[in-house]
Amino acid sequence: MSLLQVEDLAVSAGDLQLVDGVTLDVRAGEVVALVGESGSGKSLTALSVIGLLADSLKVTGGSISFDGTAFHGASGRDMTDIRGKELAMIFQEPVSSLDPLMPIGAQVAESLIVHGTATPAQAAKMAVDMLRRVGIPDPERRAHQLPAELSGGMCQRVMIAAALISKPRLLIADEPTTALDVTIQAQILDLIRDLATQDGTAVLMITHDMGIVAEMADRVCVMYGGRVVEQGEVEDIFLRPRHPYTDMLLRTIPRLDHPPKQELFAIPGNVPSPSDWPTGCRFKTRCDRVTAQCNNRPVLGTGHHRTACFHPLTGESYDRFA
Amino acid sequence: MASATRYRSRYIAGQLLAWWPAILLGLMVLMAILAPLIAPLDPNRQDLLGRLKLPGYEGRGGTYWLGTDELGRDVLSRMIYGSRVSITVAVLSVLLSGIVGVTVGMLAGYLRGWPETILMRLVDIFLSIPAILLAIITVAVLGPSFFNVILVLALTRWPRYARVAYGQTMSIARRPFVTLARSMGCSVPRALLLHILPNIISPILVVATLEFGLMVLFEAGLSFLGLGVQPPTASWGAMLSTGRNYVTSAWWIATFPGLALFLLVLSANLIGDRVSDIIGKGR
Repeated sequence: MSLLQVEDLAVSAGDLQLVDGVTLDVRAGEVVALVGESGSGKSLTALSVIGLLADSLKVTGGSISFDGTAFHGASGRDMTDIRGKELAMIFQEPVSSLDPLMPIGAQVAESLIVHGTATPAQAAKMAVDMLRRVGIPDPERRAHQLPAELSGGMCQRVMIAAALISKPRLLIADEPTTALDVTIQAQILDLIRDLATQDGTAVLMITHDMGIVAEMADRVCVMYGGRVVEQGEVEDIFLRPRHPYTDMLLRTIPRLDHPPKQELFAIPGNVPSPSDWPTGCRFKTRCDRVTAQCNNRPVLGTGHHRTACFHPLTGESYDRFA
Repeated sequence: MASATRYRSRYIAGQLLAWWPAILLGLMVLMAILAPLIAPLDPNRQDLLGRLKLPGYEGRGGTYWLGTDELGRDVLSRMIYGSRVSITVAVLSVLLSGIVGVTVGMLAGYLRGWPETILMRLVDIFLSIPAILLAIITVAVLGPSFFNVILVLALTRWPRYARVAYGQTMSIARRPFVTLARSMGCSVPRALLLHILPNIISPILVVATLEFGLMVLFEAGLSFLGLGVQPPTASWGAMLSTGRNYVTSAWWIATFPGLALFLLVLSANLIGDRVSDIIGKGR
């Protein structure tokens, strides 16, 4: 059974629908990547799951269940018990995501203290151990430092330590490496993967970087215009993409064997803003396979590898990463 | 070597110069605490034969360094005891109005929506009522006393803190670190107290130091109007009030408490300015 099951989730800001019909599931211990361009609704989906949408945003439809318990239209209050304990999240901006005036040791210990899992003294000790686990050198001393005394990469490690100290069953990572430089990115991704594997934590990784997806994910969920357009195992998505958007997204990745002096591929057009999303298939304005049928809304379908498209790419199982 | 010593002593002198308001305020607080030890005479002991005597008068009790008032009481001793009223009233009313105002402001700034509307409109209503009018009505209903003065001051001044706390909370509450804290299972009160309050406390402290001076003046004003601390308890405001009647014949009764009031308020305001400068630099 799935650990996290999101069914037909809709989020709106007033009359403006920002996410509609997101369906995805995360099974225990696996890494699922949620991919899409900016504004495709990835982060909103994640924040809905943890029940921390901004006040102006509301879950207007669908259901979210965690470990069999439904949080339909969760106001957030009923989730306080599992937040931090079974479900944790890390964010994009490591430096501004830490309380600037609280020593990092205390921030790491926070979830233990909030949930009463440990006494303050035990929690402080466990926080130091956790800081050591995420690779902070000299953790006893560092625990007393403030976030401003640490680098961005270190802050991201602290945030990971804070999220994973209670050994949650699901970690939501919202673009955890976007603000970091490339060498640190690799270290942080390795760290998340190692710790998640050791503790059996499932990860919902939100990213727009296909390289991260290929490296980390077991399964992939591609979003466009507030909807899930394709879902499948990582090999399916990369080797046998069926939705034209996924296909174009993969073709935008520059390759070393790309013929020199030839223009790189770009998806034509821009991502439409939520106020002027086309009716029917939302990708139809930029798609090369569009027909009259695309004015109807495509459904995601069923099965392991499913796509919301009337004219999916088929057959030619071309090996693009050979 | 010699120049280093000179540099250091110059540095210390500079610091003393810069912080003289704090030193003065500290001395006044010390004076209030140690009043029974340092007051030369009993502040309430009357000597009707030694009324309205000039500073330096040698009377039955001893030397009256700052003269005597209309009942022959020692002005210096009354001033020393009067500092207790001024400072405790100011401290307690700043604390009370600060706690109420910050709580209201933070709740309004964090919760938004209808609590924000109700609380902040309440703040507006309180700001629109003239402070003296509110004070007179409250005292008329509750009767004048030491604690009612504190209550009245808190009642009129809390909206100031609420405004500052409200604005600051709004800007901090949407910062990612609050969301992170909430994602770790932090309840709203815990997030407010542990994560938001420490991050908004500096501007509130500036307001509080400036308010301290104002509270001293307000207390004096209330006592001056007879709405504050009741006789025979010495209070600077009350001394000014009675001294006013004799200002042409016995200037010392009103002058010295007035001077003390002036110095206390001045030092409180200068400290407030310095604190806000330092915090401004830190940003």
